[in-house]
Amino acid sequence: MENNNTRVAIIAANGGMFDAYKVFNIATAAAASDKEVGIFFTFEGLNLIHKEAHKNLPLPEGKEHFQEGFEKANVPGISDLLEMAQEMGVKMIGCQMTMDVMNLEKDDFVDGIEVGGAASFIEFAKDADISLTF
Amino acid sequence: MAITANETLDAKGLACPMPIVKTKKAIVNLEPGQVMEVQATDKGSTADIKAWAESTGHQYIGTLEEDDGVLKHYLRKASDDEAKEEKKFNDVTDLETLRQKVNSQEAITILDVREEAEYAFHHIPGAINIPLGELDDRMDEINDDKEINVICRTGSRSDLASQKLSDKGFKNVKNVVPGMSDWDGPTEKSND
Repeated sequence: MENNNTRVAIIAANGGMFDAYKVFNIATAAAASDKEVGIFFTFEGLNLIHKEAHKNLPLPEGKEHFQEGFEKANVPGISDLLEMAQEMGVKMIGCQMTMDVMNLEKDDFVDGIEVGGAASFIEFAKDADISLTF
Repeated sequence: MAITANETLDAKGLACPMPIVKTKKAIVNLEPGQVMEVQATDKGSTADIKAWAESTGHQYIGTLEEDDGVLKHYLRKASDDEAKEEKKFNDVTDLETLRQKVNSQEAITILDVREEAEYAFHHIPGAINIPLGELDDRMDEINDDKEINVICRTGSRSDLASQKLSDKGFKNVKNVVPGMSDWDGPTEKSND
């Protein structure tokens, strides 16, 4: 096996179910392929790691019928993807500033996340080979 | 074509990225060199498994599609130093020389020491398959009258096999380098 240090830096800035799938599918696939993955959750993206909110993310208005499609295609739930991502060592950083604005504490989020500012993410992202924003 | 795998992973009915995630988890249970069969119904899994293997360094062997739509992907777990292993057997031959012998139908033995699954997808017509791990027990299947051309994927396993054969008294042994990874002559698949 070649020594693989490819780093993937993701910004999650939106909080719908589609956004969550984009973020977590890419993140888990990358982690499974031995990439080093970090996600910075900011603004509505914080919903994706909020203890309660991530279990019930909204579909875009008018697209509610996709729910059936997700079930039919046997797509894993967001909670499962989130858990897998953590299990595979995906680094998750919640944005401190947004949390302050929204009056949220670290305890409001799933276990195992870090809290940091933009600089924490930039420190991780400066050596990234792939940067993505959702 | 029936293929034996050391482990089978059932990822049927699962959507992306689950086949890859499950594969990643399951492959740790294998020893280097062993073969895993991944069963999936996700149509994207063929391309994904290939790309995954490419990026993790494991070997993608091939995919069979069953009549019921189930895809069977075959992977071989690589070891860290697989491609770097020192070649110790001195009597080597190159692919071009072997190809000329195959084309002119010279009476030679081609001994393919890769795993059965690798052989099944892609081997030189007429080659016999004895995986390196079984060679000690199956040497009596090899005829010493003809030149024995030992081949694997990159030349590492065939190097070890050549040494084993030579140690057991086989006279006319050649290690074919690099191996099937660069072979562009005729090949065939195993029959059903």
